[in-house]
Amino acid sequence: MKETRYDRSPACYQFELELEAYMEGENRPLVPAHTRECAFCRVIVKDLEALRSAALAMPREEPSPAVWSNIRAQLVATGAFAERVSLWNWVGQLDFLRRPGPVTAFACLLLLGCLVTVPRTYLEQDTAAGLSALPARTATRSMAFTGDSDALPRVVQELEETFRAREGSLAPDLKATYDNSLNSLDVSIRECSDSLQREPDNSLAHEYLLAAYSQKAQVLSSALEFGEGR
Amino acid sequence: MSQQKTAAPKAASETQLVARAQHGDEEAFAALFEMHKRRVYSLCLRMTGNTAEAEDLTQEAFLQLYRKISTFRGESAFSTWLHRLAVNVVLMHLRKKVPQQISLDEVDSSQDEPVKRDYGDNDRRLMGSVDRISLSRAIADLPPGYRMVFVLHDIEGYEHNEIAEIMSCSVGNSKSQLHKARLKLRDWLRQNEGLMTPGEPVVSDQAPTER
Amino acid sequence: MPDQSKQTEKKRGVTLYGQGLVVYLFLLSGALLAADGARSEKTFEATPNPRVTVTNMTGQILVRGWDKAQVRVVYSVVSPHVEVDTEVIPPNQPADKIHLITHLLDPLISGKDQTADYSLEVPMGTNLEIWNPQGSVRIEKLQGDDASVESVGGAILVSDFTGHLFLRSVGGNIELIRPSGRVEAYSITGDLHFVSPTTSKLRATTTSGRIFFEGDFPDGGDYSLSAYSGDMDILCPPSASFELNAKTVRGKLVNEMPMTIRRRSATPVSSANSLFGTHLTGKATVNLKSFSGTIRIRQR
Repeated sequence: MKETRYDRSPACYQFELELEAYMEGENRPLVPAHTRECAFCRVIVKDLEALRSAALAMPREEPSPAVWSNIRAQLVATGAFAERVSLWNWVGQLDFLRRPGPVTAFACLLLLGCLVTVPRTYLEQDTAAGLSALPARTATRSMAFTGDSDALPRVVQELEETFRAREGSLAPDLKATYDNSLNSLDVSIRECSDSLQREPDNSLAHEYLLAAYSQKAQVLSSALEFGEGR
Repeated sequence: MSQQKTAAPKAASETQLVARAQHGDEEAFAALFEMHKRRVYSLCLRMTGNTAEAEDLTQEAFLQLYRKISTFRGESAFSTWLHRLAVNVVLMHLRKKVPQQISLDEVDSSQDEPVKRDYGDNDRRLMGSVDRISLSRAIADLPPGYRMVFVLHDIEGYEHNEIAEIMSCSVGNSKSQLHKARLKLRDWLRQNEGLMTPGEPVVSDQAPTER
Repeated sequence: MPDQSKQTEKKRGVTLYGQGLVVYLFLLSGALLAADGARSEKTFEATPNPRVTVTNMTGQILVRGWDKAQVRVVYSVVSPHVEVDTEVIPPNQPADKIHLITHLLDPLISGKDQTADYSLEVPMGTNLEIWNPQGSVRIEKLQGDDASVESVGGAILVSDFTGHLFLRSVGGNIELIRPSGRVEAYSITGDLHFVSPTTSKLRATTTSGRIFFEGDFPDGGDYSLSAYSGDMDILCPPSASFELNAKTVRGKLVNEMPMTIRRRSATPVSSANSLFGTHLTGKATVNLKSFSGTIRIRQR
């Protein structure tokens, strides 16, 4: 039967069913095969491709400067831009401490700072390399380093408090895994701290202590991301 | 992983700006405006077809951003969160203009109507005739739900998972709406912008016959 | 009349019973259909080195390299409230990027209902990124630039991989067979097992898990293994040529390989048990550390 613009063969119906997936990049061999035989369906594909190219070429428009002026004017009128916030104020905000990302970054930089203060002869380079290989989900961001030796445990403790407040939202088996790993790390922190109390110059114990805090910060950050519904 | 290494510095500075803006830092908020103004404005312009309306909506979107930025918790990328806010501003505006418009929460499948399949021949294809003005008119004529998905995906370059997050729909829904939007645009362009240059004969070896 | 009314009652009862049975059967078939997992298969044309990402919650993920310029995905879900979103970039051309994301349509479903199992066949040069917090991951025969696998409780098994491999599982075991290139493997409570690696660089740490290493150390290789409290067993052939730096704070060091000792001490100052030595010509560097775990180096 000769095809007309009003007649569709069963192959045309099948083509229609598969066209969406084909346009999304899925391998649907029937579509190109059918367009080799059917001029009408071939035109459909060509049209859609032309449309997509034209859309892609549409320029991104720039708003006039008046837009920002109006926004700013309204915010000044409400007094919203009155206060300038210092970096110190930002660090001190409790809200900041609930964000695992910046806190982890802070913890890691404190850690690196502590490493800098330990005698170089005892430290392996791979310790710092291993610590800097943070997962993408707890990306390091740069911040000021204060060099306070009590700050790292404090930061990890605050992360843990946030985690404990939210751990109820975790699936039971996930929570169990996180709890086991945190217990393991707590044991290592205790043992290393005890060891360092007896032998303050024990570089390997020091290395393991810093690594345990860093790993604990990473584990808590990972758990908190779950808790926030990622 | 190399992609993540490349993206990390930009994401890091934006995160810092967001954090500062959340504490009222004007400079940080201005920087966020500079980073995102074109994309938000383009979205508003494509959806309204009117520069004055688009500028008003852009202003409204950023004012809402300032009011709501403290609620941003980082569950999604900031740009996705901002554009969701902008999409809601636009759809609210359109709903006020034409009350029976779609819900803000989902791309409404009740817009689904049979899409005309006009099987033209080679001479009737759109190739070469889809200019910016024609396309803008065609987009303006789309139902808002289709229009939003088309603008976000084919013009603004969002991926379906981002659109799903912005529009609170599934990725499958986004893909299906996009396909229907494209077919509707094709139909509009073929009907309204001229299928052939006047005077040219129909050259076809598959001439229509009576049913 | 009373008989008639009784009959009418009886008929009504039967009708109601019949309707109830139909409804019950309908619901039962619906439940059975819902319980039956949905399986789907998709194939995408791809470039020789695409980036493929899989984001899942729980279930098995298997990835194998093959010699076609295609990515073939077979996935199955347990619940109808779980869908797999696929995104191909760019569309309608050989893909540079393919994203596979398990999407929960109902946020209230939990546990095994969230399961999505994946089986992928990908070009050998694929770069891979997998997040599967509660499920296992298995990768075979890939030669991409890099692969990254992260889990929380799931086990990770990688065999015949060449490239930069980053593996992390908080509580799951990690096993690598014949890896080549560079490897980083981290766990807190999971065991780490390496068989016949030919990597130029290997970093592995576990806190309470154990480390097993069976194989040679290739010339120029740099190997660093750390197990805080778990035991570490190194089993290598007599032909292995390496420089050894081993130390532990409270654990034991047991060495059965003949070595030229550079320094051996249990100094009171550090209380560290350490062994620095060279086997044969010391062409590779091997650093072994523990806090309280036993480190054993044995000859195969």
